[in-house]
Amino acid sequence: MEKTYSNKAIIVSLVLPGIITFIFAILAPIILSGYYSTTDFSGLGDFTFIGFDNFTELFKDKTFWTALTNSLLLAVGFIVIQHPLAIMMAALLDRKGKRAEGFFRAVYFLPNVISVVIIAYLWKFIFNANFGLLNNIVEMFGGKGNINWLGTGNAIWSVLIVLIWHGFGWGMLIYYTGIKNIDPVLYEAAAIDGCNNKSMFLRITLPLMKPVIQVNVTLAIIAALKQMETVYLLTNGGPGNETQFMANYLYKQAFSSFRYGYGNAISVVFVAICIIATQVLNVIFREREER
Amino acid sequence: MNDRVMKRSSFPIGKIIIWILLIAVAVIQIFPLVWLLDFSVASSNEMFTNGLLIIPKVIHFDNYVKAFVDGNFLLYLKNSLLINVLAVVLVLIISIMTAFATTRMHWKLSGTVRIIILLGMMIPIHATLLPNYVIYDKLKMTDTIWAILIPYIAFSLPQGLFLTSSFMASIPKEIEEAAIMDGCGIYRIIIVIITPMLRTSLVTVSIMTFLNNWNEFMMASTYLNTDKWRTLPFSVLKFTGLYSSNYAVQFAVMALTAAPMVIIYILLSKHITKGVAMGAVKG
Repeated sequence: MEKTYSNKAIIVSLVLPGIITFIFAILAPIILSGYYSTTDFSGLGDFTFIGFDNFTELFKDKTFWTALTNSLLLAVGFIVIQHPLAIMMAALLDRKGKRAEGFFRAVYFLPNVISVVIIAYLWKFIFNANFGLLNNIVEMFGGKGNINWLGTGNAIWSVLIVLIWHGFGWGMLIYYTGIKNIDPVLYEAAAIDGCNNKSMFLRITLPLMKPVIQVNVTLAIIAALKQMETVYLLTNGGPGNETQFMANYLYKQAFSSFRYGYGNAISVVFVAICIIATQVLNVIFREREER
Repeated sequence: MNDRVMKRSSFPIGKIIIWILLIAVAVIQIFPLVWLLDFSVASSNEMFTNGLLIIPKVIHFDNYVKAFVDGNFLLYLKNSLLINVLAVVLVLIISIMTAFATTRMHWKLSGTVRIIILLGMMIPIHATLLPNYVIYDKLKMTDTIWAILIPYIAFSLPQGLFLTSSFMASIPKEIEEAAIMDGCGIYRIIIVIITPMLRTSLVTVSIMTFLNNWNEFMMASTYLNTDKWRTLPFSVLKFTGLYSSNYAVQFAVMALTAAPMVIIYILLSKHITKGVAMGAVKG
């Protein structure tokens, strides 16, 4: 038996496809990215090695810091607006949804199955100054309805609205599943003790949901760091670089500004930030649990 | 349960507020899509009126005909289906193989290999866009199906491996050990015994892979320069260029492009919500 389980040829044949795919599509590109990050390659022609010049430039690059701030702002938006709302709606659905539970859950999640391309273009129309939905709503409430939603000063908030709207169902669904796993006996017992809905939510639901909240918050922060598609299609970082995010910025540098080397330097820092953020969040939450 | 509690929990005002809240959020989530559908059957001239929705004088299904024909809908749909089905099947096969090798087989590096592939979950796809573009260009892979199939598989693999191997760990070894006694080989054990038992987690992996890749856009737009293998989202992009002033047709093409996945979602809603929840919590 041991012989069958440690047969080298079989092991190699089983893991090789996975390893090759991983190396070819993820590992090698990341390493190559590190290599190009030390060059002044424009994307075409020759290039020279310039050491860490790209990185020193990056830390002085205002747009890079804007991008990082925007990610942080988005993460705050997720944690302060999207998640409390999501967890509350999940709890309401679970306790009060009755037969409509499945319907509401399906409706909340629906935007998530629609391509980012459609979502971004749809919102472009919603923000449209002439026939856009939002300005029509503003008009309905007596406003002037000529707000330039994607203009200077407004754009970042509009981007935030789209992202918070789009991701809501996903977060809600995960909380909902977590709440479903709570033993209903607890609620029954609390009801017998004369506990009201509010304290049931605060004393039973929230504490028991702590691990789910931690996972969800981690995912939200990472998603905020990784944000690219919606911004790329909605504003491409503009006006100016107001709504720039890291992933979009590296893409723009490489393919629009023809600074492929510099784009790769951003890419390397970007990966590092994502990995560090994941690790730090894991450590924080793990220590909390042990206490 | 005593009467006082019963009464309080069915207090009508509280109930009404809760329902208003539930419905309000539902409206916020769904109204943009209703608006999209509404405008997609209107004519462009009707859009510049006030009010939230248009009641079109004539329902313009011809918008959809235009979207279907000029948007290359069938070609993109065929590409999307082919690429996604292949990606799902290959992710499943590779996940099962790797999971079996790293959780069941005895070899020194099994833990290391598993952790390295799982680390892939932390790597954002956007960090591979620039280098992969150059790699595929050098290997003359740009515009081939491989240029997106391989990264789609690679980025779905970590989660696939995670879900299958954690499920596999819960399958008792006795059955396969008995099979080995009877002279059954590893490959046959995987195909005949393990795979059927992994059914639930394989469904989850399929759903997650399909959902992530069906709507994927950045990689496809970077590695594909021609229509040959482009996927559904591209019909929307194509139209904003072609019909930049005919808004109604643009709305129609968006609705049409969203339709396949929305239909799949309505049909399989239960499985999809379950799959996503399982995948997300465990991933």
